[in-house]
Amino acid sequence: MKDIEYIKLIDTTRCTACRGCQVACKQWNEMPASKTSQFGSYQNPPDLQWNTWTLIRFQEHVNKDGDFKWLFRKDGCMHCTDAACVKACPSGALFHTEIGTVGLNRDACIGCKACTSACPFDIPKYNKETEKVYKCDLCYSRLLAGKQPACVLSCITGALTIGDKETMMKKAYDRVEQLGGKAVVYGDKFVGGTHVIYILAETPAEYDKLPANPKVPASVVLWKNLFKPFTLIGMGAVAGMAALHYLIKGPHKVHEKNEGGE
Amino acid sequence: MSQHTADMVKVTDATERIVHWILAGSCLFCLFSGLGLMFRSWNFIPALLGGLYAAKWMHIFSGVIFSFSLSYAYFMWRKDCTFEPDDAKWIANGGGYLWETDNLPPVYKYNAGQKLFFWFVMIFGIGIIASGLVMWNPLIFPDLVARWSYPLHVMSAMVIGSFFVVHLYLGTIGNPGTATAMFTGYCSRAWCETHCPRWLAERDGKSVTE
Repeated sequence: MKDIEYIKLIDTTRCTACRGCQVACKQWNEMPASKTSQFGSYQNPPDLQWNTWTLIRFQEHVNKDGDFKWLFRKDGCMHCTDAACVKACPSGALFHTEIGTVGLNRDACIGCKACTSACPFDIPKYNKETEKVYKCDLCYSRLLAGKQPACVLSCITGALTIGDKETMMKKAYDRVEQLGGKAVVYGDKFVGGTHVIYILAETPAEYDKLPANPKVPASVVLWKNLFKPFTLIGMGAVAGMAALHYLIKGPHKVHEKNEGGE
Repeated sequence: MSQHTADMVKVTDATERIVHWILAGSCLFCLFSGLGLMFRSWNFIPALLGGLYAAKWMHIFSGVIFSFSLSYAYFMWRKDCTFEPDDAKWIANGGGYLWETDNLPPVYKYNAGQKLFFWFVMIFGIGIIASGLVMWNPLIFPDLVARWSYPLHVMSAMVIGSFFVVHLYLGTIGNPGTATAMFTGYCSRAWCETHCPRWLAERDGKSVTE
């Protein structure tokens, strides 16, 4: 299954929020649970954590007519093609895999935390004890071994499926057409296309913590594409000018009338 | 100290020299460990320091030393580096470095170029320290502050790094006889008459003669 560009499709309209994926993810990745307290929602833990790489968000949604419904959204790494975290990472711990996902080699992570603010989806989470960053790697090792990610394998409703890009995108658009109304495909139109694609029942802006138009932040672009090269270009240019000055004007000698003192 | 006879003039005291070298040492360590952390092709520097993780902590530690020495340098040199009206004239004449000129105003302790260097390092030093503190633990700051600290840090490094190259050139081969000011503390009388005539005259209890 190597060298295929994978897409994981999350059809939120089929999700019942059973949280099997959340448990399967923890189990496969051997992540411990953290003690949490009830905060007035079924959503648990309250947010993604270093040890919780995927989370079902429970959102109470009331439409214009006053009808109530749940919006369930499986949150986690979107595996961007143009990933801000990879751009920000100084050590190469975060990297683009040959299957289009964003991998994380935790041994290489130096805990600089640059990725945590760079990510437009607020995904990488830092662990103070290990001084490392954690996030979903779309079960990279399982995919390479020809197996589905743990979350997909655990999904009983068919909300989670994975496959090659072409098949999955067609499936996504077919499903949206079938659903009609406000249903929309989310993920292929920004950051070079994500490798986790949502089918949303409502417009993206209505979902909690889901950016309507995610981008690699301008700060990251300015930092990496402009200032970074210009540290060396600037110092090199100035050194070149100094060398030219030395060759053309020569060193600035003490005034001749002053030679030898008074 | 026998070589420091009558024709040598003491231009810096020991405190100035010690602060200068702590500042310079921590600054250069930060610069090169920073470049080593930022560029994959410069990873040999962190490798020599014991890896990227070790280099990260050394970079932070050196930054703390830089912060304290920069603060000390501010209070030590701010008076000498306060601009005066004649500085504009000095700059308008390129300090005599770029073309021949007879219109250079006599300099007191530091010329306008040195003062500019001081203030650029101060301003961008504050920028690099403040952004560095945010980058040390970005999680306790709002996202926007955390995000923009990175380009600010690298831009400040770019400015300070470029000024460092100018400083290195003008303090050594660009101005022969200058570097001893930061080693022995002495420069020749002729050097002082060229570079800081007003200061020399005041020191000798004389007025400046053009």
